[in-house]
Amino acid sequence: MADSTQASAPKPSSSVKLVLLGEAAVGKSSLVLRFVNNDFHPNKEPTIGAAFLTQKCHLPARIIKFEIWDTAGQERFASLAPMYYRNAQAALVVYDVTKASSLVKAKHWVAELQRQASPGIVIALVGNKVDLCEEDGAGTSGEGAGEGEAGGEDDDDAVARKVGFKEAKAYADEESLLFFETSAKTGHNVSEVFTAIANAIPEASLKGARGAGAAAGGGGATQAAISGGAGQESSRVNLTAKGDGKAQEGCAC
Amino acid sequence: MFLSNLVQKAQQLIDPGNLPAQLGLSNNDTSGRPSKAQLFRHQFRLPDTQNPLYEITAELTLPPKSSRTNGTLPKSPSQTQAKSWDKGNWDQDRGPHYLGQLHLSEQFLCFSTVNTSFISTASTSASSSYMFALSITAWNGYEAAGVTEKAGAPAPPKLTVQLEGSRLQCERFCDGLKKGLRQGIKEVDQMRSVAADCYSEFFLHSDFDVETGKVREGADGAEARRAPDTGLGSLFRYPGNSRRLRDRSKMRLWYEYMRENGRNTTLVRQPDFHRLIRVGLPNLLRGEVWELTSGSFYLRLQSPKQYEQTLKKHEGAASLAIEEIEKDLNRSLPEYAGFQSEEGIGRLRRVLTAYSWTNTDVGYCQAMNIVVAALLIYLSETQAFYLLATLCDRLLPGYYSQTMYGTLLDQRVFESLVEKTMPIIWDHLQRHDVQLSVVSLPWFLSLYINSMPLIFAFRVLDVFFLEGPKVLFQIGLAILRINGEELLDATDDGTFISVLKSYFARLGESAHPKSENPKHRAITHFQALMVVAFKEFDGITQHTIAEQRAKHKPAVMVNIESFAKRTSIRNLGPESKKLSANDLGFLYDRFYTVLYERQQRAQMLQAETERRAKAARARGGAGSEVVAPQVEMGRVALGAASSTTMEYDAFREFLAGIARWAVTDSPLSPSTKADFGDSVRGNGSLRSTARAGGRPSVSSSSWGSGPEPADHDFLHRLFGKWDAESRGSLGLQDVVYGLAPVKGDRDLMGSIAWFFELYDDDGDGRVDREGILRMSEGLLFLSRRGVESQSRGGGEGGVEGEEGTQSKDEQFLSAVSAFIRRCFEYADPDHPSRQRHEERDADATNDLDLLDLTESDADATPNPNHHPPPNDAFDQTTPLSPKHLQANAALDPSSPVHITLPTFRMLVLADETLEFFFDSGFANSFHLADAPLPSLIVSSPLPFSSSASATSGGTAAAGSGLGGAAAAVAASPGARISTPISPGLGGAAGTGAAAGAGVMVGPGKPGIRGMLDNIVTDGMRVAAEVRRRMDDAQKELDRGAVPARTGTGGEEDEEDEDEAGDLLDGAEADAGAASAGGEGVGRRGSEKSTVFDR
Repeated sequence: MADSTQASAPKPSSSVKLVLLGEAAVGKSSLVLRFVNNDFHPNKEPTIGAAFLTQKCHLPARIIKFEIWDTAGQERFASLAPMYYRNAQAALVVYDVTKASSLVKAKHWVAELQRQASPGIVIALVGNKVDLCEEDGAGTSGEGAGEGEAGGEDDDDAVARKVGFKEAKAYADEESLLFFETSAKTGHNVSEVFTAIANAIPEASLKGARGAGAAAGGGGATQAAISGGAGQESSRVNLTAKGDGKAQEGCAC
Repeated sequence: MFLSNLVQKAQQLIDPGNLPAQLGLSNNDTSGRPSKAQLFRHQFRLPDTQNPLYEITAELTLPPKSSRTNGTLPKSPSQTQAKSWDKGNWDQDRGPHYLGQLHLSEQFLCFSTVNTSFISTASTSASSSYMFALSITAWNGYEAAGVTEKAGAPAPPKLTVQLEGSRLQCERFCDGLKKGLRQGIKEVDQMRSVAADCYSEFFLHSDFDVETGKVREGADGAEARRAPDTGLGSLFRYPGNSRRLRDRSKMRLWYEYMRENGRNTTLVRQPDFHRLIRVGLPNLLRGEVWELTSGSFYLRLQSPKQYEQTLKKHEGAASLAIEEIEKDLNRSLPEYAGFQSEEGIGRLRRVLTAYSWTNTDVGYCQAMNIVVAALLIYLSETQAFYLLATLCDRLLPGYYSQTMYGTLLDQRVFESLVEKTMPIIWDHLQRHDVQLSVVSLPWFLSLYINSMPLIFAFRVLDVFFLEGPKVLFQIGLAILRINGEELLDATDDGTFISVLKSYFARLGESAHPKSENPKHRAITHFQALMVVAFKEFDGITQHTIAEQRAKHKPAVMVNIESFAKRTSIRNLGPESKKLSANDLGFLYDRFYTVLYERQQRAQMLQAETERRAKAARARGGAGSEVVAPQVEMGRVALGAASSTTMEYDAFREFLAGIARWAVTDSPLSPSTKADFGDSVRGNGSLRSTARAGGRPSVSSSSWGSGPEPADHDFLHRLFGKWDAESRGSLGLQDVVYGLAPVKGDRDLMGSIAWFFELYDDDGDGRVDREGILRMSEGLLFLSRRGVESQSRGGGEGGVEGEEGTQSKDEQFLSAVSAFIRRCFEYADPDHPSRQRHEERDADATNDLDLLDLTESDADATPNPNHHPPPNDAFDQTTPLSPKHLQANAALDPSSPVHITLPTFRMLVLADETLEFFFDSGFANSFHLADAPLPSLIVSSPLPFSSSASATSGGTAAAGSGLGGAAAAVAASPGARISTPISPGLGGAAGTGAAAGAGVMVGPGKPGIRGMLDNIVTDGMRVAAEVRRRMDDAQKELDRGAVPARTGTGGEEDEEDEDEAGDLLDGAEADAGAASAGGEGVGRRGSEKSTVFDR
């Protein structure tokens, strides 16, 4: 996992815009949450529009700062996607290994990216939720896992894999995509995906870190989810409203 | 200060711009201004069923505060104000009074002034009218005073309205009101039960102790009263600290206000009402006031059972929306305790599901789960359902639709407002390539619920429901303004977002923590935000929003449409690769244009019907209103799910735009023709007519501006074939997959096989006699506007080279006639056994005369099952008596013969014209992007005389050709039966010619096209006639053919080939002398017969 401490010798740092695409509830936000915060929430709120987070990835020769655009998965949000994949240098197309239809959707996204996104975009195909498949052994338990992600249709028994490794791999090879199977829940392969992408970004397409304002996060990972960020959720409901009592007279006139 | 503020506020309410955005949206390229009825409904947030019937200037007087006491109301529900009102006596202590307009609709009585608006339901208010004054006592007052005099809710104020106008006007208004009241009496019970869900009914009851917030112990009937459902908050706590929110004192203020100004159905909205809402609603009343200010209460009042009924009706049903809803149930405000319980999740599920069924176009969109979850904290399930409907349909139109066009549009509008009001920030964002909508889209889509801490988001909602969508923009602009300095330091998306995020987290903190003045210190960021939003940006009115929406709408729609088109075409699947990208784009446009135009027409027709109905209802009334609503339902960008498939009629219309033959022979009135040019031009780019030309020229004809499509057996078959999944409708994919083998493969054998399969109904590889006839009809149908030549330039009309086209058409006619004849010559008999018993059957009824033949012919397909099993093995071989033969031929309507694909292929290849047709003609007859169909019907008229000869010639050719074919066939089995049949054939040819002549002089169809049409119509008629006669003749042929075939035995194939060679010669002869077809065919027919006689 990429760490947040600065390496002693300053390495060249460059930022990379990465966009996540894929069907609803395949675990896009969870992958990002695992990568950025090393955390997992079984009931993650659906992303509305998109969320933006950043995380650094330390390679031997340089530091890649990922600017991650995590998009909403529901079909009708697809028309918003061009707004987010515009100028992206990398894309993570995610599907759910327990749901065959999600691979179909992933293929659509790959086709869309290949035609519409910036040329030379690095695309990684990621099959998420392998923890739900017994055979992989990546997940420790199948029961109840990722219910929030996969929705009510998942039984408590281990969910059978619906998309074979070979099938997806063959497709990825054919389209020259990076390919991984991951589990955001267990963390299996998650940082590997990002590292592989970082390595695959051609040197030429790297530009310098954008602006001085990037330091706002205080050296660590800047994360700012537009919606449903993990951190502030508990504060929403029980938020203490200091001074709101004066509201009665105080406003609107 | 407050008053002026509210005066303005109210002006916005009456402002035409303050419209449901949906109407605002349609302004752009449809009717322009919204109708009066729409304005009226929006002003008072009334349901769509209400129309302004009467309107009158009036002065409203509210009772003075001092007079408010329980039980002083009149016992009688009505009280006549006999005293004539004198303005001079009208003094201030009588209570506030307002001058304004009193409106009456079917069920509501509404009063509006410049500085406030109030709604009172007329349906149950008891009142009486005098000449100029009207005293209104609302129903709950009536109940309190008249029925339960002891401990009831306090009576609402008695309102006095003085009407100003002529005596006639006043009387008419009062008559209308009386009528409305009389009808309304029936609905009182319903209203009572609906109002009972309102917390105000419970809370204003006199046994309620405002100080403790509890029902007083020991009060009469207290045990019977239970608080209505005020959302999950009553079970799981309301968000925020109620003491800090000063919930109790707010309740006390509302208690006062409602006692004075009525509640739920009869609430009078005085300036205080707005003020009380601005400071935040108390938890227990929040839901009810949301319902009232948004107007969803009236929706619920109108159909209170809709929610339960919808759930019941669709119980257990599955849909895509439900699948999507299930995915999100566990992740909607998951941090709120209520949504960690089955109770809360269950409510959320039911509300979302019920709405997805009532509005299948929207179904379910992520973000709705969050909004509804928030609503459910304060509202009961039922209330939330109607409020959601109001949100989606009226307040946030298009936000949650399939394409989310409303969301995208409002983002554009927001950006343009930022650009206008904060140019420095805007420039900064542009310079650093930060996309504003990335931040602001979730604000709008989830009404800030997901962005701000909940308690503040609810305060925004309070104002939003009262004042409308503009509030979202005002708040958004204020957020940027307040954070302006920090945002100017941000140079990338990440920083930009984190600035705003930390601001939201600090909303509850003091905005001036270091101030000396304790009052200033007490002001929170949120309060400051509200002040900036509504003070600094009070210039952002609903009107501004509507204007901006209209301005940006076309571009947004085009973007969505091109995205949808791209995606849709890319996802069509591998088969679609057979067609060029241009063609796919063309098909896509054509497909959706047809759907769009059809939907528009349907809507206009419906609107017209409604208008008539309403006009009838409001007959004699003051209001003649209602302009047809111009909502562009069918546009792709609007994402209406209902418009993605074509029914058969739409399919015909679709084909008529890409193939000549699919246009009917009897075009409509000239005006329709004239319009057609437009629509063809529109085909090029999607709906360019609709967009560029302002209002689409939709005629009221059921086919709109396009050519009227034909209806033919061939079209039915084509539709059935393309409808691969037998759904009864075609999607774009079906159309593309249907056309791909025709247009894409360009393979002669493939297209012959394709055509054959079209007629092979049961898929057994054989086409029976009925099918053969239908095939021929189909070929004639396809060719009646001329066969497409191989290379057609894009723009050329149908007139080009009349001579060439014409002779080609004639060739085709004779080719088809030859084809029919040969089909029967080479048709294979069905199983001998079947034939045998049919003969037996026929034998039994050999007394019937020829006249019956035509009738029995009508039932088409052979049904051998009803025949008894064969038991006379020798029947077949014994020579048949002439009489027997004749009767058999006449009576057996379905002597089973069939052709197989190889036979069909051979027959087609035997004829150059047909071969050419299947090689390219048919494929070329579909005009796609490379050669779009020019305006076909309107071709320059030619002198009648010049084509007359051609027509008659053609008719003769057709008539004699077919007649000759029939004669030849008849001749083949021998002279024995030719006598009875020939007269019939002669008759057929005769009628054919006569019919041709009739058509010729009939409808005004000058020009070569008309002539050709006549030829074709004529030919088809002849074919139809001949077809009947052919049945028996052909049977005789069979008779001859069967022994011949049995004789050759296994060498059948070889023989076929021989004959094919023979035929080829004949075909050449045919092609060479088309006009002499009859003769030639006749001759060749007799030659054939010698072969068989051999």
